[in-house]
Amino acid sequence: MTEIFANGVRFHVQRLAPPGPAAAPPVVVFIHGLVMDNLSSFYYTLAGPTVSAGAHAILYDLRGHGRSERTAGGYSTRDGVTDLCALLDVLGVTEPVYLAGNSYGGLVAARMAVLAPDRVAGLVLIEASCAGPGAATWFEEMTNTLTVAALGLEFDRVQDRLRATGQRKIARLARNADALLNGTSLIDDLAAERPLDETELAAIGCPVLGVYGAHSELAEAAGVLRRHVRDCRVEVLPGLAHTVLREATGTLRDIVTGWLPRREATR
Amino acid sequence: MSDVLGEVVSILIEVVGEDFLLDTEITPDTTFSDDLALESIEMVALAEKLQERYGERVNFVSFIGDMDLDEIMDMTVGKLAGYVEAQTAGTR
Repeated sequence: MTEIFANGVRFHVQRLAPPGPAAAPPVVVFIHGLVMDNLSSFYYTLAGPTVSAGAHAILYDLRGHGRSERTAGGYSTRDGVTDLCALLDVLGVTEPVYLAGNSYGGLVAARMAVLAPDRVAGLVLIEASCAGPGAATWFEEMTNTLTVAALGLEFDRVQDRLRATGQRKIARLARNADALLNGTSLIDDLAAERPLDETELAAIGCPVLGVYGAHSELAEAAGVLRRHVRDCRVEVLPGLAHTVLREATGTLRDIVTGWLPRREATR
Repeated sequence: MSDVLGEVVSILIEVVGEDFLLDTEITPDTTFSDDLALESIEMVALAEKLQERYGERVNFVSFIGDMDLDEIMDMTVGKLAGYVEAQTAGTR
């Protein structure tokens, strides 16, 4: 496993290089969602097509997720930005990168465009609501959902019952979720999270691609991006809710690879 | 058991560690997800180790390029070993 120590934390990182020599391929960093998610959701969907289209892909497990170290604290989007900047430093990536974030990963991506604009070439926000009252409501709902899940894991010993019935994979996932939700500051950090304000959103100078499901509770975020972001393209996919990445992989692949800049292979 | 299949199994044990089902008989028809309870992130680690072992030609991301998620999750040990064998034919 590729382990990178950055910002004092051990991260699991996967790098995928484009086929053949290319002159300065764009770098795309994929940022996954919360708790049950990890880099594999992008590894199995958008990473391959992005690399085939000529980009260099970097995937990593957020702290506490997948095969990265589970620290007691440091789960705010600001911490996420510090982690990612440190990770890029260690990897020697100095040029601005494209950030593709799904759900909570999109929040980290957007926060990085605000806090470290020189390091961001563009944003792909998949089902992420970053600003406005809709974002505040979403943060609250995520916090509430995770709090309920944490209580269930702590008091119902879900993982023990799953293990007893032989469902060891789900039991393992439940054990990891229990450790993350009940053993770290993740829920408190999420509860303290504040959306970007309109000024911050309007100050984002890089191109932004937003993709949302038409039936998602976050669909209004599409309008927020259109109103405030200067260089913005928004796609709303009919018939889909929050699970765009999983359920519309092919459509999303075409949208994202068509939006990213092309780099010609060197002769 | 072919050399490659045996190698896949030993890398599996390396990746999953003590949680791995040592008492499960692994055949080419054994599935990673249902039979071995391999998590998707562990499959990523397995793919990385296979590339370290067999070189750049064993490219899991390229291998799964045309598969949908269900197909990836339903993959058998034999299918992966077959891919590795095909990619490394003549070099082993």
